[in-house]
Amino acid sequence: MILEARNISKSYGSLEVLKNVTIECHKGKIYGLIGANGAGKTTLFRILLGLIKQDCGSIEIDSQGIKPIGGIVEKPALYGYLSAFGNLKVFAQIQGLKLTKELYSQSMQQVGLSTKRTDVVKNYSLGMKQRLGLAIALLNNPECIVLDEPFSGLDPMGIIALHELIKKLSSQKQITIIISSHIVKELTDLCDTLYVLNEGEIIKKGPSAELLNASVTTYKIVGNNLEMSEVLQSINAIFSNKSAFVSPKTMSITEILQKLIEEGQEVTACIPQTDLKALFGGGKI
Amino acid sequence: MISLIRSEIYKIRKQSKTLYALAAILIIEGFVIVSAYYQGTGIIDLLLANLKDSFEFKGNLLNGNLIIYLILNSLWFHIPLILMIIISGFLTSEYKDRTLETVLLQPVSKLNFILSKYIVSIVFTLLIVLLLAVSTFFVSYWIFGRGDLVVYLDGLNFFESDEAFYRLIYAFISGANSMIFFSVVSLTLAVILKDATKTWIVSAIFLICSNLLLKIDFQNEFLNELFFSKLTDSWQYFFYYKIPYSTIYFKNFMLFGYTLITMIIGIIIFKRRDIQL
Repeated sequence: MILEARNISKSYGSLEVLKNVTIECHKGKIYGLIGANGAGKTTLFRILLGLIKQDCGSIEIDSQGIKPIGGIVEKPALYGYLSAFGNLKVFAQIQGLKLTKELYSQSMQQVGLSTKRTDVVKNYSLGMKQRLGLAIALLNNPECIVLDEPFSGLDPMGIIALHELIKKLSSQKQITIIISSHIVKELTDLCDTLYVLNEGEIIKKGPSAELLNASVTTYKIVGNNLEMSEVLQSINAIFSNKSAFVSPKTMSITEILQKLIEEGQEVTACIPQTDLKALFGGGKI
Repeated sequence: MISLIRSEIYKIRKQSKTLYALAAILIIEGFVIVSAYYQGTGIIDLLLANLKDSFEFKGNLLNGNLIIYLILNSLWFHIPLILMIIISGFLTSEYKDRTLETVLLQPVSKLNFILSKYIVSIVFTLLIVLLLAVSTFFVSYWIFGRGDLVVYLDGLNFFESDEAFYRLIYAFISGANSMIFFSVVSLTLAVILKDATKTWIVSAIFLICSNLLLKIDFQNEFLNELFFSKLTDSWQYFFYYKIPYSTIYFKNFMLFGYTLITMIIGIIIFKRRDIQL
Protein backbone atom coordinates (compact mmCIF):
# COMPACT_ATOMS: atom_id res chain seq x y z
CA MET A 1 0.00 0.00 0.00
CA ILE A 2 1.42 3.39 -0.98
CA LEU A 3 -0.98 5.64 0.92
CA GLU A 4 -3.19 5.00 3.87
CA ALA A 5 -5.31 7.67 5.50
CA ARG A 6 -7.05 6.33 8.57
CA ASN A 7 -9.92 7.81 10.56
CA ILE A 8 -9.37 11.36 9.34
CA SER A 9 -11.64 13.96 10.93
CA LYS A 10 -11.72 17.69 10.47
CA SER A 11 -14.05 20.32 11.86
CA TYR A 12 -14.38 24.06 11.40
CA GLY A 13 -16.09 25.26 14.55
CA SER A 14 -19.22 23.20 14.93
CA LEU A 15 -19.16 22.10 11.28
CA GLU A 16 -17.79 18.59 10.86
CA VAL A 17 -16.28 18.53 7.39
CA LEU A 18 -14.75 15.06 7.56
CA LYS A 19 -15.83 12.22 9.85
CA ASN A 20 -13.57 9.21 10.30
CA VAL A 21 -12.56 9.01 6.67
CA THR A 22 -10.35 6.07 5.73
CA ILE A 23 -8.88 5.51 2.29
CA GLU A 24 -6.25 3.06 1.11
CA CYS A 25 -4.35 3.32 -2.15
CA HIS A 26 -2.09 0.84 -3.90
CA LYS A 27 0.81 1.51 -6.22
CA GLY A 28 -0.01 2.24 -9.84
CA LYS A 29 -3.78 2.29 -9.37
CA ILE A 30 -6.20 5.13 -10.08
CA TYR A 31 -8.68 6.04 -7.36
CA GLY A 32 -11.70 8.27 -7.71
CA LEU A 33 -13.26 10.36 -4.99
CA ILE A 34 -16.79 11.31 -5.83
CA GLY A 35 -19.27 13.34 -3.89
CA ALA A 36 -21.68 16.22 -4.01
CA ASN A 37 -20.62 19.84 -3.49
CA GLY A 38 -19.51 20.35 0.07
CA ALA A 39 -19.02 16.63 0.68
CA GLY A 40 -15.46 17.27 1.88
CA LYS A 41 -13.43 16.15 -1.15
CA THR A 42 -11.17 19.20 -1.34
CA THR A 43 -10.65 19.24 2.43
CA LEU A 44 -9.58 15.60 2.32
CA PHE A 45 -7.19 16.33 -0.54
CA ARG A 46 -5.72 19.33 1.28
CA ILE A 47 -5.12 17.09 4.29
CA LEU A 48 -3.52 14.37 2.16
CA LEU A 49 -1.24 16.99 0.62
CA GLY A 50 -0.30 18.45 3.99
CA LEU A 51 -1.81 21.88 3.36
CA ILE A 52 -4.12 21.62 6.35
CA LYS A 53 -3.89 19.54 9.48
CA GLN A 54 -6.51 16.96 10.40
CA ASP A 55 -8.02 17.12 13.89
CA CYS A 56 -7.44 13.40 14.31
CA GLY A 57 -6.46 10.36 12.30
CA SER A 58 -3.24 9.36 10.61
CA ILE A 59 -1.74 9.46 7.14
CA GLU A 60 1.00 7.11 6.08
CA ILE A 61 2.76 7.31 2.76
CA ASP A 62 5.12 4.47 1.95
CA SER A 63 7.71 6.31 -0.08
CA GLN A 64 11.41 6.95 0.36
CA GLY A 65 11.46 9.74 -2.26
CA ILE A 66 12.13 13.43 -1.59
CA LYS A 67 8.58 14.17 -2.64
CA PRO A 68 6.24 11.33 -1.68
CA ILE A 69 3.09 13.05 -2.90
CA GLY A 70 2.30 15.79 -5.39
CA GLY A 71 -0.87 17.28 -6.68
CA ILE A 72 -3.12 20.06 -7.85
CA VAL A 73 -5.90 21.40 -5.66
CA GLU A 74 -8.78 22.94 -7.61
CA LYS A 75 -7.31 24.94 -10.52
CA PRO A 76 -3.56 24.92 -11.14
CA ALA A 77 -2.00 27.94 -9.44
CA LEU A 78 0.99 29.22 -11.39
CA TYR A 79 3.03 32.41 -11.64
CA GLY A 80 1.20 34.13 -14.48
CA TYR A 81 4.05 36.59 -15.09
CA LEU A 82 6.53 33.78 -15.73
CA SER A 83 6.87 31.52 -18.76
CA ALA A 84 6.43 27.75 -18.51
CA PHE A 85 10.21 27.53 -18.18
CA GLY A 86 10.18 30.20 -15.45
CA ASN A 87 7.47 28.37 -13.51
CA LEU A 88 9.23 25.03 -13.76
CA LYS A 89 12.50 26.73 -12.79
CA VAL A 90 11.00 28.26 -9.63
CA PHE A 91 9.25 25.09 -8.52
CA ALA A 92 12.28 22.93 -9.34
CA GLN A 93 14.65 25.30 -7.55
CA ILE A 94 12.68 25.41 -4.30
CA GLN A 95 12.91 21.63 -4.03
CA GLY A 96 16.60 21.54 -4.79
CA LEU A 97 16.35 20.50 -8.45
CA LYS A 98 18.31 22.21 -11.18
CA LEU A 99 16.13 22.74 -14.23
CA THR A 100 18.43 21.70 -17.04
CA LYS A 101 17.32 21.85 -20.66
CA GLU A 102 16.92 18.08 -20.59
CA LEU A 103 14.72 18.14 -17.49
CA TYR A 104 12.66 20.98 -18.96
CA SER A 105 12.10 19.10 -22.25
CA GLN A 106 11.35 15.87 -20.40
CA SER A 107 8.87 17.56 -18.04
CA MET A 108 7.07 19.33 -20.87
CA GLN A 109 6.99 16.29 -23.14
CA GLN A 110 5.68 14.14 -20.31
CA VAL A 111 2.53 16.24 -20.15
CA GLY A 112 2.30 16.90 -23.87
CA LEU A 113 3.34 20.56 -23.87
CA SER A 114 5.56 22.20 -26.45
CA THR A 115 8.87 23.67 -25.33
CA LYS A 116 8.65 26.26 -28.09
CA ARG A 117 6.26 28.60 -26.26
CA THR A 118 8.17 31.26 -24.41
CA ASP A 119 5.34 33.65 -23.53
CA VAL A 120 4.00 34.10 -20.03
CA VAL A 121 1.69 31.50 -18.54
CA LYS A 122 -1.21 33.93 -18.07
CA ASN A 123 -1.75 33.61 -21.84
CA TYR A 124 -2.20 29.83 -21.59
CA SER A 125 -5.54 28.04 -21.87
CA LEU A 126 -6.88 26.24 -18.79
CA GLY A 127 -5.99 22.89 -20.35
CA MET A 128 -2.39 23.97 -20.86
CA LYS A 129 -2.23 25.31 -17.31
CA GLN A 130 -3.54 21.95 -16.06
CA ARG A 131 -0.77 20.20 -17.96
CA LEU A 132 1.89 22.56 -16.69
CA GLY A 133 0.50 22.17 -13.16
CA LEU A 134 0.80 18.44 -13.60
CA ALA A 135 4.38 18.79 -14.86
CA ILE A 136 5.18 20.74 -11.67
CA ALA A 137 3.42 18.14 -9.53
CA LEU A 138 5.52 15.45 -11.23
CA LEU A 139 8.86 17.14 -10.48
CA ASN A 140 11.02 14.98 -8.23
CA ASN A 141 9.03 11.87 -9.24
CA PRO A 142 6.34 11.54 -6.56
CA GLU A 143 4.86 8.08 -6.21
CA CYS A 144 1.39 9.45 -5.62
CA ILE A 145 -0.50 12.29 -7.31
CA VAL A 146 -3.69 13.93 -6.06
CA LEU A 147 -5.80 15.79 -8.62
CA ASP A 148 -8.78 17.79 -7.40
CA GLU A 149 -11.39 18.33 -10.13
CA PRO A 150 -8.84 18.13 -12.96
CA PHE A 151 -11.50 18.08 -15.70
CA SER A 152 -13.35 21.14 -14.43
CA GLY A 153 -13.45 23.87 -17.07
CA LEU A 154 -11.78 21.80 -19.79
CA ASP A 155 -13.29 21.43 -23.25
CA PRO A 156 -14.06 17.88 -24.51
CA MET A 157 -10.71 17.61 -26.31
CA GLY A 158 -8.93 18.78 -23.19
CA ILE A 159 -10.77 16.19 -21.11
CA ILE A 160 -9.77 13.39 -23.52
CA ALA A 161 -6.14 14.53 -23.55
CA LEU A 162 -5.93 14.75 -19.76
CA HIS A 163 -7.69 11.42 -19.45
CA GLU A 164 -5.05 9.76 -21.63
CA LEU A 165 -2.24 11.47 -19.77
CA ILE A 166 -3.49 10.24 -16.39
CA LYS A 167 -3.83 6.68 -17.71
CA LYS A 168 -0.31 6.85 -19.15
CA LEU A 169 1.17 8.07 -15.85
CA SER A 170 -0.54 5.26 -13.99
CA SER A 171 0.30 2.44 -16.39
CA GLN A 172 3.78 3.48 -17.55
CA LYS A 173 5.19 5.14 -14.44
CA GLN A 174 3.26 3.17 -11.84
CA ILE A 175 2.15 6.41 -10.18
CA THR A 176 -0.81 6.12 -7.84
CA ILE A 177 -3.41 8.73 -8.78
CA ILE A 178 -6.31 9.97 -6.69
CA ILE A 179 -8.84 12.11 -8.55
CA SER A 180 -11.97 13.88 -7.54
CA SER A 181 -14.54 14.96 -10.06
CA HIS A 182 -18.15 15.87 -10.50
CA ILE A 183 -18.09 14.20 -13.90
CA VAL A 184 -19.12 10.67 -12.99
CA LYS A 185 -18.46 9.34 -16.50
CA GLU A 186 -14.83 10.45 -16.41
CA LEU A 187 -14.21 8.68 -13.13
CA THR A 188 -15.98 5.51 -14.30
CA ASP A 189 -13.77 5.25 -17.35
CA LEU A 190 -10.59 6.18 -15.54
CA CYS A 191 -10.61 4.82 -12.02
CA ASP A 192 -10.03 1.33 -10.71
CA THR A 193 -11.68 2.07 -7.38
CA LEU A 194 -14.19 4.68 -6.33
CA TYR A 195 -14.82 6.23 -2.93
CA VAL A 196 -18.11 8.04 -2.42
CA LEU A 197 -17.98 10.86 0.09
CA ASN A 198 -21.20 12.25 1.50
CA GLU A 199 -21.36 14.93 4.17
CA GLY A 200 -17.82 14.13 5.27
CA GLU A 201 -18.23 10.36 5.42
CA ILE A 202 -17.17 7.60 3.05
CA ILE A 203 -20.49 5.94 2.37
CA LYS A 204 -19.45 3.59 -0.44
CA LYS A 205 -16.26 2.16 -1.85
CA GLY A 206 -15.49 -0.46 -4.44
CA PRO A 207 -14.56 -1.14 -8.05
CA SER A 208 -15.82 1.75 -10.20
CA ALA A 209 -17.91 -0.33 -12.60
CA GLU A 210 -19.61 -2.25 -9.78
CA LEU A 211 -20.40 0.87 -7.80
CA LEU A 212 -21.79 2.73 -10.77
CA ASN A 213 -23.81 -0.22 -12.05
CA ALA A 214 -25.44 -0.47 -8.66
CA SER A 215 -26.53 3.15 -9.02
CA VAL A 216 -28.04 2.75 -12.48
CA THR A 217 -31.82 2.85 -12.26
CA THR A 218 -32.65 4.30 -15.67
CA TYR A 219 -31.53 3.60 -19.23
CA LYS A 220 -31.65 5.91 -22.19
CA ILE A 221 -32.68 3.97 -25.32
CA VAL A 222 -32.00 5.71 -28.62
CA GLY A 223 -33.66 4.73 -31.88
CA ASN A 224 -36.22 5.63 -34.57
CA ASN A 225 -39.97 5.84 -33.92
CA LEU A 226 -39.61 4.63 -30.35
CA GLU A 227 -42.87 6.43 -29.45
CA MET A 228 -44.73 3.77 -31.48
CA SER A 229 -43.32 0.89 -29.41
CA GLU A 230 -46.00 -0.96 -27.41
CA VAL A 231 -43.29 -2.49 -25.19
CA LEU A 232 -42.02 0.95 -24.16
CA GLN A 233 -45.54 2.31 -23.67
CA SER A 234 -46.40 -0.64 -21.48
CA ILE A 235 -43.52 0.06 -19.09
CA ASN A 236 -44.31 3.80 -18.93
CA ALA A 237 -41.17 4.97 -20.76
CA ILE A 238 -40.63 8.71 -21.00
CA PHE A 239 -40.05 9.85 -24.59
CA SER A 240 -37.83 12.73 -25.53
CA ASN A 241 -36.21 13.64 -28.84
CA LYS A 242 -35.71 10.19 -30.47
CA SER A 243 -34.97 8.70 -27.05
CA ALA A 244 -36.87 6.82 -24.41
CA PHE A 245 -35.98 6.73 -20.74
CA VAL A 246 -36.93 3.49 -19.03
CA SER A 247 -36.64 2.41 -15.43
CA PRO A 248 -36.94 -1.41 -15.52
CA LYS A 249 -39.01 -2.84 -12.70
CA THR A 250 -41.01 -5.82 -13.95
CA MET A 251 -38.38 -6.94 -16.46
CA SER A 252 -34.65 -6.48 -16.95
CA ILE A 253 -33.08 -4.13 -19.51
CA THR A 254 -31.91 -7.18 -21.52
CA GLU A 255 -35.49 -8.41 -21.80
CA ILE A 256 -36.72 -4.94 -22.80
CA LEU A 257 -34.11 -4.67 -25.56
CA GLN A 258 -34.90 -8.18 -26.80
CA LYS A 259 -38.62 -7.37 -26.98
CA LEU A 260 -37.91 -4.13 -28.85
CA ILE A 261 -35.95 -6.06 -31.47
CA GLU A 262 -38.73 -8.64 -31.73
CA GLU A 263 -41.14 -5.73 -32.20
CA GLY A 264 -39.01 -4.56 -35.13
CA GLN A 265 -37.71 -1.38 -33.49
CA GLU A 266 -34.38 -0.02 -34.64
CA VAL A 267 -32.36 0.57 -31.45
CA THR A 268 -29.08 2.42 -32.00
CA ALA A 269 -27.92 2.83 -28.40
CA CYS A 270 -28.71 1.94 -24.82
CA ILE A 271 -26.99 4.18 -22.28
CA PRO A 272 -27.13 3.48 -18.54
CA GLN A 273 -28.07 6.59 -16.56
CA THR A 274 -26.38 6.80 -13.18
CA ASP A 275 -28.72 7.97 -10.46
CA LEU A 276 -26.47 10.55 -8.85
CA LYS A 277 -28.74 10.89 -5.83
CA ALA A 278 -28.50 7.18 -5.21
CA LEU A 279 -24.74 7.23 -5.77
CA PHE A 280 -24.13 10.27 -3.57
CA GLY A 281 -26.35 8.92 -0.83
CA GLY A 282 -29.05 11.52 -1.28
CA GLY A 283 -26.72 14.52 -0.88
CA LYS A 284 -27.05 17.77 -2.78
CA ILE A 285 -25.65 17.49 -6.30
CA MET B 1 17.01 27.67 2.16
CA ILE B 2 19.47 29.23 -0.29
CA SER B 3 17.48 27.82 -3.20
CA LEU B 4 14.28 29.30 -1.76
CA ILE B 5 15.94 32.70 -1.43
CA ARG B 6 17.25 32.46 -4.98
CA SER B 7 13.80 31.59 -6.33
CA GLU B 8 12.30 34.53 -4.40
CA ILE B 9 14.86 36.88 -5.95
CA TYR B 10 14.11 35.42 -9.40
CA LYS B 11 10.37 36.08 -8.89
CA ILE B 12 11.01 39.66 -7.71
CA ARG B 13 13.22 40.33 -10.73
CA LYS B 14 10.53 39.09 -13.10
CA GLN B 15 7.63 41.03 -11.57
CA SER B 16 6.69 44.34 -13.14
CA LYS B 17 5.71 45.77 -9.74
CA THR B 18 9.37 45.75 -8.76
CA LEU B 19 10.04 48.18 -11.58
CA TYR B 20 7.11 50.32 -10.43
CA ALA B 21 8.66 50.46 -6.94
CA LEU B 22 12.02 51.52 -8.33
CA ALA B 23 10.32 54.06 -10.60
CA ALA B 24 8.27 55.45 -7.67
CA ILE B 25 11.41 55.97 -5.60
CA LEU B 26 13.27 57.65 -8.44
CA ILE B 27 10.22 59.83 -9.19
CA ILE B 28 10.10 61.02 -5.57
CA GLU B 29 13.80 61.75 -5.74
CA GLY B 30 13.42 63.55 -9.07
CA PHE B 31 10.46 65.53 -7.76
CA VAL B 32 12.45 66.82 -4.76
CA ILE B 33 15.39 67.73 -6.99
CA VAL B 34 13.22 69.57 -9.54
CA SER B 35 11.32 71.40 -6.78
CA ALA B 36 14.57 72.36 -5.12
CA TYR B 37 16.02 73.50 -8.42
CA TYR B 38 13.15 75.92 -9.04
CA GLN B 39 12.14 76.89 -5.51
CA GLY B 40 15.24 76.08 -3.50
CA THR B 41 16.50 79.62 -3.11
CA GLY B 42 13.11 80.67 -1.79
CA ILE B 43 13.19 77.93 0.84
CA ILE B 44 16.68 78.91 1.98
CA ASP B 45 15.68 82.59 2.12
CA LEU B 46 12.68 81.72 4.26
CA LEU B 47 14.80 79.56 6.54
CA LEU B 48 17.49 82.14 7.01
CA ALA B 49 15.39 85.31 6.89
CA ASN B 50 16.11 86.34 10.49
CA LEU B 51 19.72 85.26 10.49
CA LYS B 52 20.54 87.19 7.34
CA ASP B 53 20.01 90.42 9.28
CA SER B 54 22.74 89.49 11.77
CA PHE B 55 25.14 87.29 9.76
CA GLU B 56 26.77 87.35 6.39
CA PHE B 57 26.59 84.06 4.46
CA LYS B 58 29.21 83.10 1.91
CA GLY B 59 28.80 80.44 -0.77
CA ASN B 60 25.65 78.73 -1.99
CA LEU B 61 23.57 77.02 0.69
CA LEU B 62 21.34 75.43 -1.94
CA ASN B 63 23.83 72.66 -2.68
CA GLY B 64 23.92 68.92 -3.12
CA ASN B 65 24.11 68.23 0.62
CA LEU B 66 20.90 70.15 1.31
CA ILE B 67 19.12 68.30 -1.53
CA ILE B 68 20.33 64.96 -0.16
CA TYR B 69 19.02 65.96 3.27
CA LEU B 70 15.63 66.88 1.75
CA ILE B 71 15.46 63.53 -0.06
CA LEU B 72 16.57 61.76 3.10
CA ASN B 73 13.41 63.10 4.72
CA SER B 74 11.34 60.90 2.41
CA LEU B 75 12.32 58.17 4.90
CA TRP B 76 9.59 59.58 7.17
CA PHE B 77 6.71 58.48 4.99
CA HIS B 78 7.16 58.04 1.24
CA ILE B 79 9.84 55.37 1.17
CA PRO B 80 8.43 53.22 4.00
CA LEU B 81 4.97 53.43 2.42
CA ILE B 82 6.26 52.25 -0.96
CA LEU B 83 8.30 49.52 0.72
CA MET B 84 5.33 48.34 2.78
CA ILE B 85 3.11 48.13 -0.31
CA ILE B 86 5.68 46.25 -2.37
CA ILE B 87 6.89 43.92 0.35
CA SER B 88 3.46 42.94 1.63
CA GLY B 89 2.69 42.16 -2.03
CA PHE B 90 5.45 39.53 -2.00
CA LEU B 91 3.12 37.40 0.11
CA THR B 92 -0.39 38.69 -0.60
CA SER B 93 0.08 38.02 -4.32
CA GLU B 94 0.95 34.41 -3.46
CA TYR B 95 -2.28 34.18 -1.48
CA LYS B 96 -4.33 35.83 -4.24
CA ASP B 97 -2.93 33.72 -7.07
CA ARG B 98 -2.90 30.60 -4.85
CA THR B 99 0.73 29.99 -5.80
CA LEU B 100 1.43 29.65 -2.08
CA GLU B 101 -0.49 26.38 -2.28
CA THR B 102 1.55 25.15 -5.23
CA VAL B 103 4.78 26.08 -3.44
CA LEU B 104 3.78 24.21 -0.30
CA LEU B 105 2.73 21.19 -2.35
CA GLN B 106 6.44 20.78 -3.08
CA PRO B 107 8.80 19.38 -0.44
CA VAL B 108 9.30 22.82 1.15
CA SER B 109 8.89 23.56 4.85
CA LYS B 110 6.60 26.40 5.86
CA LEU B 111 9.31 27.75 8.16
CA ASN B 112 11.92 27.93 5.40
CA PHE B 113 9.43 29.46 2.98
CA ILE B 114 8.34 32.31 5.24
CA LEU B 115 11.87 32.83 6.54
CA SER B 116 13.11 33.22 2.97
CA LYS B 117 10.37 35.82 2.38
CA TYR B 118 11.55 37.81 5.40
CA ILE B 119 15.22 37.56 4.40
CA VAL B 120 14.50 38.63 0.82
CA SER B 121 12.32 41.50 2.09
CA ILE B 122 15.18 42.75 4.25
CA VAL B 123 17.66 42.46 1.38
CA PHE B 124 15.21 44.21 -0.96
CA THR B 125 14.77 47.03 1.57
CA LEU B 126 18.52 47.48 1.91
CA LEU B 127 18.93 47.56 -1.86
CA ILE B 128 16.17 50.17 -2.22
CA VAL B 129 17.77 52.40 0.43
CA LEU B 130 21.15 51.88 -1.23
CA LEU B 131 19.69 52.81 -4.63
CA LEU B 132 18.08 55.89 -3.09
CA ALA B 133 21.32 56.91 -1.38
CA VAL B 134 23.65 56.31 -4.32
CA SER B 135 21.39 57.96 -6.89
CA THR B 136 20.70 60.87 -4.54
CA PHE B 137 24.37 61.56 -3.84
CA PHE B 138 25.29 61.18 -7.49
CA VAL B 139 22.53 63.37 -8.96
CA SER B 140 22.58 66.00 -6.20
CA TYR B 141 26.33 66.56 -6.31
CA TRP B 142 26.28 66.48 -10.10
CA ILE B 143 23.56 69.13 -10.43
CA PHE B 144 24.01 71.26 -7.30
CA GLY B 145 27.61 70.64 -6.31
CA ARG B 146 28.95 70.36 -2.78
CA GLY B 147 28.68 72.92 -0.01
CA ASP B 148 27.94 73.46 3.65
CA LEU B 149 24.73 72.00 5.00
CA VAL B 150 22.20 73.98 6.98
CA VAL B 151 19.57 71.98 8.84
CA TYR B 152 16.78 73.14 11.13
CA LEU B 153 16.57 70.71 14.04
CA ASP B 154 15.69 72.32 17.36
CA GLY B 155 17.44 75.35 15.88
CA LEU B 156 19.70 75.90 12.91
CA ASN B 157 22.72 73.63 12.64
CA PHE B 158 25.51 74.24 10.17
CA PHE B 159 27.90 71.55 8.98
CA GLU B 160 30.86 71.89 6.72
CA SER B 161 30.67 70.04 3.44
CA ASP B 162 32.91 67.09 4.37
CA GLU B 163 31.23 66.63 7.73
CA ALA B 164 27.79 66.85 6.11
CA PHE B 165 28.80 64.09 3.69
CA TYR B 166 29.55 61.51 6.38
CA ARG B 167 26.57 62.57 8.52
CA LEU B 168 24.29 62.00 5.52
CA ILE B 169 25.84 58.57 4.87
CA TYR B 170 25.38 57.53 8.50
CA ALA B 171 21.80 58.81 8.41
CA PHE B 172 21.05 56.60 5.41
CA ILE B 173 22.57 53.59 7.20
CA SER B 174 20.56 54.26 10.36
CA GLY B 175 17.46 55.00 8.28
CA ALA B 176 17.84 51.61 6.58
CA ASN B 177 17.25 49.98 9.97
CA SER B 178 13.96 51.90 10.34
CA MET B 179 12.97 50.92 6.80
CA ILE B 180 13.68 47.26 7.61
CA PHE B 181 11.36 47.54 10.61
CA PHE B 182 8.50 48.88 8.49
CA SER B 183 9.12 46.24 5.78
CA VAL B 184 9.05 43.41 8.29
CA VAL B 185 5.88 44.82 9.87
CA SER B 186 4.19 44.90 6.46
CA LEU B 187 5.13 41.29 5.73
CA THR B 188 3.80 40.21 9.13
CA LEU B 189 0.58 42.12 8.40
CA ALA B 190 0.39 40.22 5.09
CA VAL B 191 0.75 36.93 6.99
CA ILE B 192 -2.12 37.94 9.27
CA LEU B 193 -4.46 39.61 6.78
CA LYS B 194 -3.62 37.67 3.56
CA ASP B 195 -5.53 40.20 1.43
CA ALA B 196 -3.52 42.88 -0.42
CA THR B 197 -5.92 45.81 0.00
CA LYS B 198 -6.48 45.17 3.70
CA THR B 199 -2.73 44.89 4.24
CA TRP B 200 -2.06 48.16 2.38
CA ILE B 201 -4.67 50.02 4.42
CA VAL B 202 -3.46 48.65 7.74
CA SER B 203 0.19 49.28 6.75
CA ALA B 204 -0.58 52.90 5.86
CA ILE B 205 -2.48 53.38 9.14
CA PHE B 206 0.42 51.79 11.03
CA LEU B 207 2.88 54.15 9.38
CA ILE B 208 0.76 57.24 9.99
CA CYS B 209 0.11 56.30 13.63
CA SER B 210 3.78 55.49 14.11
CA ASN B 211 4.76 58.96 12.86
CA LEU B 212 2.08 60.64 15.00
CA LEU B 213 3.04 58.68 18.12
CA LEU B 214 6.66 59.71 17.63
CA LYS B 215 5.69 63.30 18.37
CA ILE B 216 3.50 62.51 21.37
CA ASP B 217 4.90 62.71 24.86
CA PHE B 218 3.54 59.68 26.74
CA GLN B 219 4.40 61.26 30.12
CA ASN B 220 6.12 57.98 30.89
CA GLU B 221 9.85 57.52 30.62
CA PHE B 222 9.65 53.83 29.78
CA LEU B 223 7.21 54.39 26.89
CA ASN B 224 9.02 57.51 25.71
CA GLU B 225 12.25 55.56 25.40
CA LEU B 226 11.17 52.08 24.46
CA PHE B 227 7.89 52.29 22.53
CA PHE B 228 8.58 51.30 18.93
CA SER B 229 7.37 54.56 17.42
CA LYS B 230 10.00 56.44 19.44
CA LEU B 231 12.77 54.41 17.89
CA THR B 232 12.27 54.99 14.17
CA ASP B 233 13.85 58.46 14.00
CA SER B 234 17.45 57.67 14.95
CA TRP B 235 18.69 58.80 11.52
CA GLN B 236 17.61 62.35 12.34
CA TYR B 237 20.00 62.44 15.30
CA PHE B 238 22.97 62.72 12.94
CA PHE B 239 21.98 66.32 12.31
CA TYR B 240 22.34 67.54 15.87
CA TYR B 241 25.46 69.60 16.34
CA LYS B 242 26.86 66.96 18.70
CA ILE B 243 25.88 63.49 17.53
CA PRO B 244 24.33 61.50 20.43
CA TYR B 245 25.89 58.18 19.44
CA SER B 246 24.75 56.29 22.53
CA THR B 247 21.11 57.27 21.87
CA ILE B 248 21.45 56.29 18.22
CA TYR B 249 22.97 52.89 19.08
CA PHE B 250 20.33 52.26 21.73
CA LYS B 251 17.44 53.21 19.43
CA ASN B 252 18.78 51.10 16.57
CA PHE B 253 19.41 48.13 18.83
CA MET B 254 15.92 48.30 20.33
CA LEU B 255 14.31 48.78 16.94
CA PHE B 256 16.17 45.75 15.62
CA GLY B 257 14.73 43.85 18.59
CA TYR B 258 11.22 44.96 17.61
CA THR B 259 11.97 43.85 14.04
CA LEU B 260 13.01 40.40 15.24
CA ILE B 261 9.95 40.06 17.50
CA THR B 262 7.62 41.11 14.65
CA MET B 263 9.30 38.59 12.39
CA ILE B 264 9.01 35.79 14.94
CA ILE B 265 5.30 36.57 15.44
CA GLY B 266 4.77 36.39 11.66
CA ILE B 267 6.65 33.09 11.41
CA ILE B 268 4.69 31.52 14.27
CA ILE B 269 1.33 32.60 12.82
CA PHE B 270 2.27 31.38 9.33
CA LYS B 271 3.52 28.04 10.63
CA ARG B 272 0.46 27.38 12.77
CA ARG B 273 -2.12 28.33 10.19
CA ASP B 274 -3.57 25.93 7.66
CA ILE B 275 -2.95 26.90 4.08
CA GLN B 276 -6.50 27.79 3.21
CA LEU B 277 -6.88 30.51 0.63
